[in-house]
Amino acid sequence: MSHAVIIDKAVKRYGDFQAVNGISLTIKPGEFFTLLGPSGCGKTTLLRMIAGFNTVDGGEIRFDDSVINNVPAHKRDIGMVFQNYAIFPHLNVTDNVAYGLKARKVPNAEIGPRVMEALKMVQIDHLATRKPNELSGGQQQRVALARAFVIEPSVLLMDEPLSNLDAKLRVQMRTTIKKLQRRLGITTVYVTHDQEEALAISDRIAVMKEGNIMQVGAPEEIYRKPANPFVANFIGVSNFIDCDVNASGGKAEVTIEGKYHISMPANQAYQGAAILSARPEQLFLSDKGIPGVITLALFLGDFVQYEIRLENDQVIELNEYTKDTDSTRAVGENVFVDFNPRQVSLYKKDSQEVLSC
Amino acid sequence: MTAKTNKIRAFQGGASIKPGGVYWMRYVIPALAFYVVFMAYPMIDSVRLSLYSGTAGTREFVGLANYVRLFTDEVVSKRFWNAFGNNWVFFAWHMLLQNALGILFAAILTNRTMRGRQFYQTLIFIPCTIAVLVTGYLFKLMMNPVWAGTTLKAAGLGFLVRPWLGDRSTALTCVSLVSVWQWVGIPTMMFVAAFQGIDDDLIEAASIEGATPWQQFTLIRIPLIVPVIGMVAIMTFVSNFNAFDVVFSMETLDGAPDYTTDLIGTLFYRYGIAGQHPVGIPEPGVGAAISTSIFFMLLCGVIPVLRTTQGKE
Ligand SMILES: Nc1ncnc2c1ncn2[C@@H]1O[C@H](COP(=O)(O)OP(=O)(O)OP(=O)(O)O)[C@@H](O)[C@H]1O
Ligand SMILES: [Mg+2]
Repeated sequence: MSHAVIIDKAVKRYGDFQAVNGISLTIKPGEFFTLLGPSGCGKTTLLRMIAGFNTVDGGEIRFDDSVINNVPAHKRDIGMVFQNYAIFPHLNVTDNVAYGLKARKVPNAEIGPRVMEALKMVQIDHLATRKPNELSGGQQQRVALARAFVIEPSVLLMDEPLSNLDAKLRVQMRTTIKKLQRRLGITTVYVTHDQEEALAISDRIAVMKEGNIMQVGAPEEIYRKPANPFVANFIGVSNFIDCDVNASGGKAEVTIEGKYHISMPANQAYQGAAILSARPEQLFLSDKGIPGVITLALFLGDFVQYEIRLENDQVIELNEYTKDTDSTRAVGENVFVDFNPRQVSLYKKDSQEVLSC
Repeated sequence: MTAKTNKIRAFQGGASIKPGGVYWMRYVIPALAFYVVFMAYPMIDSVRLSLYSGTAGTREFVGLANYVRLFTDEVVSKRFWNAFGNNWVFFAWHMLLQNALGILFAAILTNRTMRGRQFYQTLIFIPCTIAVLVTGYLFKLMMNPVWAGTTLKAAGLGFLVRPWLGDRSTALTCVSLVSVWQWVGIPTMMFVAAFQGIDDDLIEAASIEGATPWQQFTLIRIPLIVPVIGMVAIMTFVSNFNAFDVVFSMETLDGAPDYTTDLIGTLFYRYGIAGQHPVGIPEPGVGAAISTSIFFMLLCGVIPVLRTTQGKE
């Protein structure tokens, strides 16, 4: 049976340094949950706390209702796929996959068929008798997957399992992983720093920064409605434009460079400096809007990437789809940049709190 | 192979890959010369020596007479098989006790929660740095009822006052244990290095799979260091069949009492170098016959161990 994984104000300290800063998360049974964040933000540390390799220095981690802070790793009933696979080099493929079943004292008669079924799931049943050093990286990865899945754990952990594979294989394997996870319904915690992978594979994503959670949400929600400028810039690319805001009654009057006025929906009353965050594909060239001059125009086939210098010398990025226009603009041309106020996001300048809704 | 590819081969590879070429030889010559002069020649010369009688000056070719004497003469063969048997007992103590302790110490020292590893490692290794003649002599004093008896009795350990080294039933065991104590640091160091070489992820993977710490030890850590266990076994085997000094310092050259601690090393020394009591004329030919026989016996022991424990790759 799959468990919910509840992380309650979990803390991990290395000396004076706090690698995990009192994180709280609730991962639902059967959910594919991804920890996403830049290098060094504490993803691996948190995952290893769930696995039982790192001590929990504060707070609690629960599987359903039972606190597992002090349960040793081998009694937690979890599966794990390591970044470097960690396949036992002295055992052949079958014995590697069978290892967990033997350790769990599954009857011998049952082990053979279950191992074979797991190998078939990841399409390496023809390699059953090979030794690990006779396998390619991708094949070793499949052994590691089969070994984690075969024990039918109640929680599955994966730490950047695809980072050693080439781009094409990575896309293929992430589909395999997603399908297997769906079929077996195992609660999965997945770690990656590849945002595209996270968007493609996850039910929900937690974006982390320096040991804190910046936002938790479904991939689309995180992309469309980033909760703060960090998330806006970490998932995809965002332009940040300084502006002044006067918000009340669910409406914000935004003034950019004292000239350009636009009104957009707001979630609270506020008056003062703010940051407008817009993705390159949310901006378009128009006959009104923020004035600027084109400094770079790259034709990339399905879209043209422009760099535009605004009057305050800030350079922003704008993508224009080839299908929407007849020709590419020239460098040096004066243009106006506009956007749909429902698509962009607005944040308070000092607290970085979100204002748009 | 077609003529064309042949031509390409010759062009690309030059003369050095021509079949029968000896150009690679010049890279091996320094090492080979060293090996021949300092290792192969003395060994072969020792085999040659076993076919002669007498000492330098009076040397005379006798064919296999020394071997015939070694294996058929009542006294000599009795001494030889006695020393041979004792040596197996001596070896068994090291193999079973010293190496097991080495693995145990190494497992404890490389445990993740272990503190002060360097300190204990040094402590275990210190005896290896002391001369055997010194430790042997010190233990001889400690096991001497006259020398240590009063102190032991005063400490309430009177039952320990026994002629350990003079009693035929305990002498060989005592000598073996002293040697085990002195050298246990060597296998410990080797096993520590071997255990440290194991990727942490493998142990973590095993524990995630549900393996208890004991299963992780027996099913992952031990199998992964089999090549090192094999090497240590061979080193133990070879060095034990060459042992000499611990017996010399604790039980004299005769392997007292009554030859119960006589090893191949002491036997060889008496026949080949010192000369047998009471005549005192050394017989280098017999000594060489002993060492040659033992050399081939060691070979029979070493080769199968090497084959089974060292990976084929
Ligand atoms: N054993 C340790 N001792 C001290 N600091 C550590 C230790 N392990 C990790 N850290 C620190 O904790 C922080 C988080 O590390 P962690 O390995 O969780 O990062 P990560 O998010 O997995 O990064 P990456 O994407 O590069 O794998 C880092 O700043 C790291 O330097
Ligand atoms: Mg990491």
